[in-house]
Amino acid sequence: MIVLHEVCKQFMQGDEEAHALKKVSLEIKKGECVVLKGSSGSGKSTLLSLIAGLMQPSSGTISVEGKEISKLPESFSAQLRREKIGFIFQKFHLIPYLSALENVIAPLIPENLPVRILEEKAKIAMEQCGIAHKAKMRVNRLSGGEQQRVAIARALVNNPSIILADEPTANLDETLSRELIASLEALKHSGVTLLIATHDPLFFELPFVDRIIEIKNGEMIL
Amino acid sequence: MFFKPNFLLLDYAIRSLMRRFGKSFFIFFILSLLIFVLASVLMIADAIKLELNTTLKTLPQITLQRFIAGKQSDVPLERVEALLDIEGISAVTPRVWGYYYFKPAGVNFSIVGIDAYEEQYSATLSTLTQRFDIKLLEKENGMIIGEGVQKILSENYYTEFFNFITSEGKWQRVHIAGVFHSDLALESNDLIILPKKLAYAIFGMDKSKATDIIVKVANVKEIPTIVQKINERYPDMRAITQDDIRVSYQNIFDYKSGFFLALFSICAFAFFIIIYDKTSGLSSEEKKEIGILKAIGWSSDDILKEKFYESFTLSLSAFFVGITCSLFYVYALQASFLRNLFMGYSALKPSFALPFSVDVSMLILLFLLSVPIYIAATLIPAWRASTLDADEVMR
Amino acid sequence: MSLTPEIIALLTLDTIFLFFGVIAFFLSFRLALYWNNDASTPLQYSLTKQSYLVATIIKYIFMLKLPLFLFFIYTCDKLSNIIAGAMCASGVVNSVDFGLYLTLFKLFNLYLFGFWLLLHYADMRCEKLPYTRLKFILFVAFSFPLFVEIGLEIAFFVSLNISKIVSCCGTLFSAASSSYISLLFVVDELLWVGLFYGFFAMSLLAFWLKHNVLILFSNAMFLIFAIIALIVFFSPYVYELPTHRCPFCLLQKDYYYVGYLLYTLLFLGTFYGMGGAMLSLISKEKMRFSKLSVGFNTLYVVIISLYPIVYFIRNGVWL
Repeated sequence: MIVLHEVCKQFMQGDEEAHALKKVSLEIKKGECVVLKGSSGSGKSTLLSLIAGLMQPSSGTISVEGKEISKLPESFSAQLRREKIGFIFQKFHLIPYLSALENVIAPLIPENLPVRILEEKAKIAMEQCGIAHKAKMRVNRLSGGEQQRVAIARALVNNPSIILADEPTANLDETLSRELIASLEALKHSGVTLLIATHDPLFFELPFVDRIIEIKNGEMIL
Repeated sequence: MFFKPNFLLLDYAIRSLMRRFGKSFFIFFILSLLIFVLASVLMIADAIKLELNTTLKTLPQITLQRFIAGKQSDVPLERVEALLDIEGISAVTPRVWGYYYFKPAGVNFSIVGIDAYEEQYSATLSTLTQRFDIKLLEKENGMIIGEGVQKILSENYYTEFFNFITSEGKWQRVHIAGVFHSDLALESNDLIILPKKLAYAIFGMDKSKATDIIVKVANVKEIPTIVQKINERYPDMRAITQDDIRVSYQNIFDYKSGFFLALFSICAFAFFIIIYDKTSGLSSEEKKEIGILKAIGWSSDDILKEKFYESFTLSLSAFFVGITCSLFYVYALQASFLRNLFMGYSALKPSFALPFSVDVSMLILLFLLSVPIYIAATLIPAWRASTLDADEVMR
Repeated sequence: MSLTPEIIALLTLDTIFLFFGVIAFFLSFRLALYWNNDASTPLQYSLTKQSYLVATIIKYIFMLKLPLFLFFIYTCDKLSNIIAGAMCASGVVNSVDFGLYLTLFKLFNLYLFGFWLLLHYADMRCEKLPYTRLKFILFVAFSFPLFVEIGLEIAFFVSLNISKIVSCCGTLFSAASSSYISLLFVVDELLWVGLFYGFFAMSLLAFWLKHNVLILFSNAMFLIFAIIALIVFFSPYVYELPTHRCPFCLLQKDYYYVGYLLYTLLFLGTFYGMGGAMLSLISKEKMRFSKLSVGFNTLYVVIISLYPIVYFIRNGVWL
């Protein structure tokens, strides 16, 4: 459950104020799949960052899972991100010198639990994505498709209730994009809330997408 | 609040250091070098102090020197008897000794005159008198020399005897009757022992006088009172107690290592500015990584912790490497070069082995001078990195 | 002034503390003035970041100050070999007029910083960061004793004169001493011992009643009278010498370094007692530290009481 109320975000670009988002209000229900459509620079990524608590809005409120993430101290918003939100980035953003398993464990490191438990969790997520057999490989030796699966496994490792995807298919060929979409669909059916920011037309006619919201110059076009 | 180590984070930190191998290694290397130099200097100073303290124990309890017009001069022998009247003094020995400059080699020998019928004032001397027949020395004009002296003399082709030049310019031929080596090389390496008669002749001294007087005391606690009594009777005599020598040595060494440390601090300061510079410049790769970590659920605090683990691991391992190297350098290689810094002796003196002395407190001192200071230098850069905006990664 | 390596190490670290302390002071000042939890202005954003820096600096200083306090005592102990007349750290500490104040300031600052960290911990555990402003106001206040301590320490080592003859602990801690310490010996020692056990009992009672003000008060008093009773009554039993009264010789090897254990117990016990009580007064949180406090204090009382008891059993007389 994500609720945005009149969210504005300004950046300082030199001496001028640039409005990345203007009074965005939005409500996404649990288990819903929403696609944010818009060209690059339209404010989609800013919106995702705000929802994840990576930045704070200039005004307005954002609440995630009943908690007002925009007002939370940083350590708590990080915890919320760790426990409830999974991130899939453009270009995957894996940490290149770690193995696949270590990349999947990375989000859990701050919890300071025994290694055994964390590896167990990571293995489950990796099996779910069909990449468990490459666990010991360094991710920069993996193919694009395998890297993508590691990235999804990392997003799933803590059983998040929300998945945020930022241009997930931007650097993929069509086969891989289809594969990714299939995994997203599986997630949707398991009850996870999905929020996908993209301008890839592949997403616009998918049967499991509940809503498509267009963003242009920081404003929602309904 | 309660510290609980996070081994995965530690593992992560070490990998992160290894990834930036060039940069980490540069810092690691310089830091180890600094710790190595610092540890070596402190260890040498401590070892010499220990050696000196051992030597000090063999030194006389009170040495009396006579000063005329502020210069040390010889003591009349009649004072020896008079001193015995002071209560608490158990033995009084007049000494005849001095240095003999041997021009061809440019070194000083210590010459000590002994008398077969006297009680010897130091343990070294009394073992020597037991090993060699002093009465025989007197008969045949012989001397006993230390190993260092023997080496120098034989280099100058004196293997059987040596010709001293007396103060009147005459030659005094002395036969080499024996060579000794002692565990306490510092004290005895440059030593020549010969009968008092010969010593008087070589130095050209008045036979009714002695160089100085050694006093033995029955009860160590009475030393200050006895010194006071001596001073009252003979105002021109200066008494040097064992304790005085110990304190002055300790001061000299603390001063020397302190002086060195002050120089060292300047080097260290320069180094830490470099560290500050190196660690505050983050590459775009590192910025991206911090962004990713934040997005997947790390807080600033976690990143700060990771950075702390990094600098702690780096400095602690540099600390161990530096300490190990300096242990090896000081005790296995006998600290060639550096030991000369602390020893202002003649060329003969330094040929002694540094006794092993490392205590926990020195390790703590070295630790305090390295690890916390390094961490301090990385504190602000680490904080800067940890508070980087995470949205970098979203672009 | 004497430049032993130990003193240089202490002075170097003092310089670092001073540098960081000044930064933390100015940032705290800004934070105390402008902190507003509800705002989402750029100012608040940069303040949040700065608050991490201040907390990190304070953690750093505290983490080092704990071992450095011991190191300071140890350095003084070592210097007592050089300085004529001094037999243990107390002679060295007292060789400079304000030496004792320096030691007390060090101790006081450890309590203050420790308490600050307790408050910080409580603050960070709460989503609303309720004490952030308070803790930075407190740090602005706490930084003054820190600066005084650093200044005193530098002055202490500068004015330390090796050739000066100082008194040993035997004369400092005796009725013959001209200082205010001699006042302690005017009163019957049993009074001090009674007060010591009395306040210990009061702290137990306060724990049982869960009365925070009483816990705070009884622990503070317990700390003071524990030290007085240690000097006046208990220390001769540790040394087994009727005239040897000294709170520093306990730290020496001859007495198996028992002082380090005793002081650690006493300081931890009273710190948790006072800090925990203070925290519950501010935050109404449940008392989590009182148990630790009672544990440490009791252990201290038991160990220190064993000295005279064992002595009496062995020798049949009191000193």
